[in-house]
Amino acid sequence: MDWNSTPAEQAEPPMSRRSSLPLSSTIPASPNTVWVDATPLLQAACTDLLDGELIHGENFNLFAAMSALEIMDPKMDSGMICKYYSVDEAIEDGVGPVPISFDRTTDVQCTLDIMDHLLACEATWHKGHSLAQTVFSCIYLLRPERTVPSPILHSYCKIIRATCKAIVSVVSDARTHEEEDLFTMAYGLPLDGDGDEKSLSLLNAVEENLCRQLRACKAQSSRRKQDMEPLQSDIDMEEGYCKALLCRLRFRKHFFHVLACMRRPQGKGLELARKHIASSISELECIRKSADFLISTASGGCSIGIEDRTTASGRKPIGFDASLNSRVSAPAPPRSIKMLSWNKAIEYFEKLLRDLDFICSYSLDPSLEVLLRFVTQFQSSRPDLVARSHLQLLLVQEGRLYGRDPMFAVITRAAGLPETTKNHDIQRYESVMQLGQLVINMLKIVCTNTAWQRRKLGKSLQDWRVIYVQLELAFTNKFGEVLATSNDENGVARVVKQILIWLEEQAYWIAFRFLMLGFELELYSPSEFFMVYWYLYAVLVKLAEKTDSRMEITEITAAKRKGKKRKDSSKDVGRETRIPPAVRFLQCQIHLVEGLTLLQAALRNEMAALHSLTPFNSEQEVKVSIFSLTINHIFLQHFELLQKACIPEQITYHSFKESTSYARFSNIATPNCFQQAQKLAKELRSSFSNDHDRLAELRRLEQVAEHNSVAMNVICQLGAVEPNSLKVSFEFIHHPCYATAVVRRA
Amino acid sequence: MEMEPETLVTSSGGQDGSHSERPSEPSSSSTVARVKKLLFRQVLVGIKDGRFFMGTFHCMDKQGNIILQDAVEYRSTRRNSPSPMEQRCLGLILIPFSCRTSCHVECPIEEQMSLMTIQE
Repeated sequence: MDWNSTPAEQAEPPMSRRSSLPLSSTIPASPNTVWVDATPLLQAACTDLLDGELIHGENFNLFAAMSALEIMDPKMDSGMICKYYSVDEAIEDGVGPVPISFDRTTDVQCTLDIMDHLLACEATWHKGHSLAQTVFSCIYLLRPERTVPSPILHSYCKIIRATCKAIVSVVSDARTHEEEDLFTMAYGLPLDGDGDEKSLSLLNAVEENLCRQLRACKAQSSRRKQDMEPLQSDIDMEEGYCKALLCRLRFRKHFFHVLACMRRPQGKGLELARKHIASSISELECIRKSADFLISTASGGCSIGIEDRTTASGRKPIGFDASLNSRVSAPAPPRSIKMLSWNKAIEYFEKLLRDLDFICSYSLDPSLEVLLRFVTQFQSSRPDLVARSHLQLLLVQEGRLYGRDPMFAVITRAAGLPETTKNHDIQRYESVMQLGQLVINMLKIVCTNTAWQRRKLGKSLQDWRVIYVQLELAFTNKFGEVLATSNDENGVARVVKQILIWLEEQAYWIAFRFLMLGFELELYSPSEFFMVYWYLYAVLVKLAEKTDSRMEITEITAAKRKGKKRKDSSKDVGRETRIPPAVRFLQCQIHLVEGLTLLQAALRNEMAALHSLTPFNSEQEVKVSIFSLTINHIFLQHFELLQKACIPEQITYHSFKESTSYARFSNIATPNCFQQAQKLAKELRSSFSNDHDRLAELRRLEQVAEHNSVAMNVICQLGAVEPNSLKVSFEFIHHPCYATAVVRRA
Repeated sequence: MEMEPETLVTSSGGQDGSHSERPSEPSSSSTVARVKKLLFRQVLVGIKDGRFFMGTFHCMDKQGNIILQDAVEYRSTRRNSPSPMEQRCLGLILIPFSCRTSCHVECPIEEQMSLMTIQE
């Protein structure tokens, strides 16, 4: 409290204490004013103030004052000086010496530690922290020109900066770094200096030198003397150190090439990228193996736990200080960052490379349907931001699919129209162009993280609805009578009609994905499953219907072009066997969700009936009505976005209640929906014999159907007789979204 | 800074130093009145770690905690030798009494003398 203490009692005497003059000369007041020490006056006023009394002006707002940054609070004050006032001061104090050590063995060891720690920093950055506090906590990276005397360190730093720059560029261009907004902040960091060619050529030179040194140390001892100067002084360790350095440098080289290849337009570099990915993965494996050797070189053991260590050797690296950059990483409040461990960092990069490889394996199929299935499969492995950004940039470039196909061509192909339609005039109509933009948005959205994706997909449903109505209106008004007949050959009418059918199908696909993502994100509690499955049933029925319509009209169009006459009735019985496999695939799922809805509804209804008291018990009535209000509320909450977009139409809480209220053990088992699903799944195997993913999905559906079929029979038989003897739970054993009923003895 | 709205007793002052009309005027102290006159002036506060903050004097409480508006942080690039200052805008900040080492207020030269005569 005694702030009149003499300078000697203070730990760090600030400048003003030493002499009052430097203060006013370095931070001048305006002309005709001076700085006057107000501390005596302030102290006197403090003594006189009453408890809780504040001195403030008329513009003072207590609530606003609460948001003031508190100085010297580590969570709020990003400029807090921990040890050094600036990077230069730290350097002068010897924090990042160049060369690291005059003993070459120590120099090599420390260089390896720096490389390892940088890998951990980079992985931590990718996971969603700021560049300034992770990778650029390394002093050697902050002052590029300092490392020139140490070629290995210098080339490594250059390639790191070039890699970070490339990744920041990809993520910025994709513009969907959703919650990870700190990721691209690079203000004040020296990212721009390094040209790609220079970094690579330097790296190659260093690599070549190391190769020679490795060869030299492996050669016979008699020949050793003539060759080059070894890497470091300990002959027995030379091979180990050379190899450790080589695999780290090579990993960086190949990884950089991966990024460069993937950025090439229209996916032209994907094949080459796969080669570099394979090399990167193999170098990572070498890096991992080098750990045993490096741990043995660490004398005195490692200070950190072996699992938490950020370097292979377990030593703490030289030249890192995260606090130096804390001001540059603002405006966010300073966050304390837990660095990923070295092992976890390697795992992260291995996963990243696998995800990138998956992207590179894609054939750039012009079919939108194939593309969406590919993206769905990609997302199932939960890829991180960097991989997702790369996919998005591959899919949408300059407003075209893969930078190659204009959106209108994509739409006409998806709608099943002939190839020549892509040059049709209607592509210049406003609503058609807007539809193209909507498809682009959808493609970008499906590349984002699941939580963000679900929300955006749900919100986009209304846009799809609006576009549908607009398109329909636009062309009905212009060619009202023409739309009524379906014989118009060349016309706009046919094209628009087919596009509209496809549009509806696409909207239902989005609704389907929206509901399914809810299971992946665990947004539904078990007691809500039955209403979600019911809604899924309604959506799937519509989706199947629209898919079937689209495929049918595609057939008709194709047949007409070939000049074949087609039977007038498209609803003849024979069509039953000609339902396309894609539609039957949906039908299989329809049976599944129908079964799940009925089973869960029956369980609820039977339990409710069991526990209901006489109709005159008002307390129970109140409970029941509160309960159904809650269900109503939950229903609206979950399906609000779908309801707003009327997808499907005329689906309300009441229709839900009505259709599920009759379900009882006595009536749900016949027909057995699960058996129907199981039978269909078996039959479909032959239709998808070339499609591994759909075969895998069919197997999963079959398992869910089989187990649930048995469970349903058990429940219905035993439940009617001894309702209290069973405990039923729904678990995601065989499929992430379709639950399996597990029956246990109570 | 502890603030309990229920027991809050405020002393507000305008630029001209006049008191607002309140039935129970808490402090009739002249020191409090003088500090009220310093509100809205530029103030330079020194901190234990060597930084300085310049901003508009916004608020002070009995513990001596100060709130500055539109504050700018000044820091030297070297601890011990004279060196160029770096600065950064922070906005509304609270400087706890415990880390404050100095507090200077901007005064016209004429006023300097009258302020200097305030001693306890």
